[in-house]
Amino acid sequence: MDLFSNLLTGFGYLAGIQPLVAIVAGVILGILAGAMPGLSPSMGVALLVPFTYKLSPQISLILLGSIYIAANYGGSITAVTINTPGTPSAVVTAFDGYPLTKKGKPGVGLGTSLVASTVGGFIGTLILIFFSVPLARLAVKLHPAEYFMLAIFGLSTVASLGGRNWAKAFMAAMLGLLINTIGIDPISGVQRFTFGNYRLFDGFALVPALIGLFALSEVFSRLEEYKLEKAVKSKFEKTKWPKFKDYWKLKITILRSSVLGTLIGIFPGAGATIAAFLSYDLAKKSSKEPETFGTGNPEGVAAAEAANSSSVGGALVPLLALGIPGSATTAVLIGALMIHDVNPGPLLFVERPDIVYSLFAALLVANVVMLVLGLWGSKLWIKVTEIPKKVLLPSILAISIIGSFAVHYSFFDVISCVGFGIAGWLLKKYGFPVAPVVLGMVLGGLAETNFRRAVIMGGYKVFFTRPVSVILLILAIASFAVPFLQDRKKKQ
Amino acid sequence: MEKIQYFSHDSGLYILLAILAVFLGLVVFFVSRSGKKEYTGRIVFPVVFMELAFLFFVIISGFSKTKESGVGPEVVPLLWITGIFIFSIILLIQALTGYEKKDPEWGNLKVVFIYILLIIAYLILIQIIGYYFSTALFLIGGMLFLKYNNWKVIISLTAGWLLFSYFIFYRMLYVPLPEGSLITLILG
Repeated sequence: MDLFSNLLTGFGYLAGIQPLVAIVAGVILGILAGAMPGLSPSMGVALLVPFTYKLSPQISLILLGSIYIAANYGGSITAVTINTPGTPSAVVTAFDGYPLTKKGKPGVGLGTSLVASTVGGFIGTLILIFFSVPLARLAVKLHPAEYFMLAIFGLSTVASLGGRNWAKAFMAAMLGLLINTIGIDPISGVQRFTFGNYRLFDGFALVPALIGLFALSEVFSRLEEYKLEKAVKSKFEKTKWPKFKDYWKLKITILRSSVLGTLIGIFPGAGATIAAFLSYDLAKKSSKEPETFGTGNPEGVAAAEAANSSSVGGALVPLLALGIPGSATTAVLIGALMIHDVNPGPLLFVERPDIVYSLFAALLVANVVMLVLGLWGSKLWIKVTEIPKKVLLPSILAISIIGSFAVHYSFFDVISCVGFGIAGWLLKKYGFPVAPVVLGMVLGGLAETNFRRAVIMGGYKVFFTRPVSVILLILAIASFAVPFLQDRKKKQ
Repeated sequence: MEKIQYFSHDSGLYILLAILAVFLGLVVFFVSRSGKKEYTGRIVFPVVFMELAFLFFVIISGFSKTKESGVGPEVVPLLWITGIFIFSIILLIQALTGYEKKDPEWGNLKVVFIYILLIIAYLILIQIIGYYFSTALFLIGGMLFLKYNNWKVIISLTAGWLLFSYFIFYRMLYVPLPEGSLITLILG
């Protein structure tokens, strides 16, 4: 009963101008930060921290929490309209979102991503409210061997991403994993594949790599198909928006992905991108038409978006319940809380329930505000797809250049972004999917660090003696095998 | 192992890179003149990956190894390198046995290469005349090259983007957009 009365008090706190303005401003800024390649949710939150110094802790957390929620949705806008994921997790949204736009149905992609994000964010927040304490305790008890198996489970999605080109998909993932080993080894401090270049000491940054692999490679592909003489007319005369029954058809996918996204979000280091990949994979495997994934299936958009938005609720679980930041954004949030003399952890629920429950209430309201603003804004986003190629292609290049520079203020990042763009264009030309490269880069660090920690702690046998590790291994093997078995069954 | 280590750094590494480049050239030369010439790209790709894996393998031989724990900095890269070798062989077999389609047709490569040159020129210009001037030149040049000649749109889009970059990235986000060596020299 305490929980409900605290939650009601939290909602009561929102009944004022200041909290509501904070939510609306947070959602708008979050959508903009998410949609802009190069600005991640963590950067969006970090940039607003200085503006919260003079605000109360509650209002600060409401503002920053709203940015965090909305930034994950914002990333999908440019992913669907111009194949330029605004955030790493929106890479997965682009798999089916952009093909929908190419088919002249950007409204379906944008509408589905908005509704799935809202429902996902809502479910993630509900799970956060009701199960934060026991789930957080479970997550931090995981052994490195289990984290390694979690990464392997994440990598198993490659099997279904590749389809007939499975060998190419695995090759792409291996390349991503190998690229991830470039830089100073986090455990021994040895320089690996840096060629003595100090700019490579931290390896290749993820954001410039994904901007190059997705946005620039797409620009080069479009330029290759370009006919200088012909005037290209926009084919999007009137786009259709999904109706309620279309959304209703996606209910199982959204629900399943939201729960999975929240659970993945709880694990420190896992995060929205892995959640989106795993949910997409699960949606594809459970679909009656898995072959339509990657060609513009709204189910793919829904799975990715529901998962990455719900992972926000998950990521807040260890932050609030244990004081452990599991992602870059929650690390920034913990800093913002400390500025206001608020120490997250188990005592926070007892000592400052006003802060915790006003945040919970604000996150629920922020999802509704995001839906309203998203519906209104979608009419604007869609205009992007109507811009002629002659204007759009140079503009995407300009956005990509500043986006890759803004991450670390590094010119090297810009050059590597262009390099990844050319490599991505050639890879795609020969049928290599580029998403597994990103997946490899995302999971590489998690896999390597935990693999080595686990071996140091318990030798190689540790992966086969811990029950959770074995379960995850079996799930990974099953996940690898299912696409091949489905393919074989279809052939028979 | 010591002989391999020689190629992992300094002059040995350059020699290795030259050998790999020559080998790749020979593969392209012979395949493009063989009965499999329509699969040249399909064959060259796995060869490039194998060369890359071999290069990384040689570099690994120069790592200082941690014997105590058994999981030094070389272990995980070796795992991925092994994977690259295995999948390269599978891809080669697929290309040679007809599992793969013939090489895709190339489109308008001239436009792509000119655009890549435009990007390179843009990146060089950023260092010399700064972000704002070079971006204006790039956007205008990029649109004109694609035969877009609505000057109202060209000017307003370029100006709008520069204003957005200035206010959002430079003023609000404190991104130090390059000012350019020439501009700094002139304006001090």
